[in-house]
Amino acid sequence: MEETGKRRLSVAGIVVAGIAYFLVSAFPLQKELVLAPGWMRSLAQAPAGPIAQLATAKKGGAGPAQSAPIPFRLGNRYGYFTAEGSILFAGTASYGVALAPDAFATYDRLSEGFTVFSPDGTATSRVSFVGYPFFAAGRRFAISPDQATVAELSKSGAIAWTYQFGSIVTAFDASPSIAVFGLMDGRIVGLDPSGSVLLDFAPGGSRIAGVYGVAASPDGLLVAAITGLDRQRLVVMEKRSSAYRVAYHRYLSSDYRRPVYIAFTPDGNRLAYESPSGVGVYDRSSRGETAISVPATSRLGLTTMNGKLMVLLSGNGDEKRLVCAARPDRRVVDLVLKAQLAFVETRGDSIYLGIDDDIVRMDLRER
Amino acid sequence: MERQGGSIGLALAAFALLGGNAFALDWPLAPPRIAATFGTFAKGRVITGAALSADDGIVRAAEDGEVSFSLDEGMNPSGLPTPLGSFIVLEHQKGMAAVYSHLAPDSRPTTGLVKVNGGDMLGKSGSSGWIEGPGLVFQVFDRRADSWVNPLLVLPPLVIDKPPVIRSLALSRADRVYTLGETASLPQGTYRVSVDVADLGDATWTMGPLAPYSIRLAIDGDEAVNLVFDVAKGVGGRLMFFSGNPIPAGDLKTKEGRYFLTERLFPRGRTSIEVHVEDAAGNKRSASWSVLVE
Repeated sequence: MEETGKRRLSVAGIVVAGIAYFLVSAFPLQKELVLAPGWMRSLAQAPAGPIAQLATAKKGGAGPAQSAPIPFRLGNRYGYFTAEGSILFAGTASYGVALAPDAFATYDRLSEGFTVFSPDGTATSRVSFVGYPFFAAGRRFAISPDQATVAELSKSGAIAWTYQFGSIVTAFDASPSIAVFGLMDGRIVGLDPSGSVLLDFAPGGSRIAGVYGVAASPDGLLVAAITGLDRQRLVVMEKRSSAYRVAYHRYLSSDYRRPVYIAFTPDGNRLAYESPSGVGVYDRSSRGETAISVPATSRLGLTTMNGKLMVLLSGNGDEKRLVCAARPDRRVVDLVLKAQLAFVETRGDSIYLGIDDDIVRMDLRER
Repeated sequence: MERQGGSIGLALAAFALLGGNAFALDWPLAPPRIAATFGTFAKGRVITGAALSADDGIVRAAEDGEVSFSLDEGMNPSGLPTPLGSFIVLEHQKGMAAVYSHLAPDSRPTTGLVKVNGGDMLGKSGSSGWIEGPGLVFQVFDRRADSWVNPLLVLPPLVIDKPPVIRSLALSRADRVYTLGETASLPQGTYRVSVDVADLGDATWTMGPLAPYSIRLAIDGDEAVNLVFDVAKGVGGRLMFFSGNPIPAGDLKTKEGRYFLTERLFPRGRTSIEVHVEDAAGNKRSASWSVLVE
């Protein structure tokens, strides 16, 4: 109880510090941006499962209409909340969970199938597949125990297609039009929604081939990857007519021998990737790069707020850092958070920050 | 004597693969107790390595190498699940990369491991990810050929004296299956020939009936098929087994669980069929049948 109290006090302190930061130290942009406090909710008080929430709703106790559920994951806890501050539920996965705004599925270590639920707890499909599910870009996939065969699942739970790779899948990202897989052998394979190959490329140029991270832009026209060792490369490919061609590449100073976070912002205008000095940012329109210097390494979240701010959560261990930047070289928020587990999400002008057992909403305002 | 002969065959294959360095690698887990061999059908996959059973065993580098990839169970930031659990990829000599998977979480000695010597500890055997029992799945990937290699070709010979088992041989067409031994005669026609074979390991658990190292079929004294479980390669979205006459993994076995060998016209008359099976330790088993085709 005392620990929880301290954590909640810490979270409240962070919110106050963030507001004070904006009021006192924020860079004036064209209009001044401030973060206004929204709400803070504790997961400890949330229903443990969606069934409870569904039962409440059926009894007419769900209260006023709520906006679309927002998924969250903090360690092995997962669930949904709404912009209004309702934690629909906070479940605990015994082994793993695939999570998307419209569906979730928990699975066991020796999963031979799984049930897909909607956020309100309604079972929508049963999937017979030996392996683990994962959801992205409104699509549902599963991967086999040897980590070399992937399948796309229809909304009804049928297996739409399977693809057996000749080596281990080490990286993944998807958009509605392309699913991109990075392989241990250094190949990047992009498959369309029917499972046909759109892209099959081995960047080369390094002593050891490998793919450490891939990203697909939301429109599917750009595919980026961190590849190879000695030297490691950033490769950005662009779809021109029907083929993907290298639009940009650069040798990096990094020597990562583990998966690396690389992702496009939700608006698709920028690509951010982990680098030893912080976060590298590739700008789609200028085809140039800048960097956000953050001392922590692993990136935990990247998003944008209505195209105004790039929001970045990074960190290791029990120290996380939230950075909001109008441009890569102009950060307007830089907060250190004491938290083992964290996530960041944005919807419109709101930031949702998960910190261990709490979820906090802050709203971006112009004045 | 038979085992030695088999080992020589394996050594020659390894010699060809490694350009003169037969048995270049050491067992990453000792003693090696085989829970799955290359080509073993297990749930959801056909094994492209060797599974070794061990509870809390020390996993060691099979040779000097360089870490090219490592991952702790469930830690891929892309959200991709990790059925291989905690695993390490080491680059060994001559373009050979080895995957050591299903390690016990947090059992790696250091997270910054880059260069390792043969015999260095990589972690402990475990049951992270999708694996039926505690142990290690060890895979060898030939980067030059872009294919998986049967690890038993490049590891010291196994010492197991149990020969493989030939349970039955079947000829099938349309919806009729003739199991030889139970059937003395059958009508003339084209048949699919399949054999039910299993190798015997010495592990406390297995992923499924172990695949042998080779299956040879002779009809009327002529070699019809010689399946050697040597390599597997991804081609066009399918995993293909065997260096000669590659077969999709999904077609290796019939729906009854027998290894598919060939499809062949059996003309009228008496036909003799022989099957010779060899396991990874060089143990051999043969069986023959005589059938009257009417």
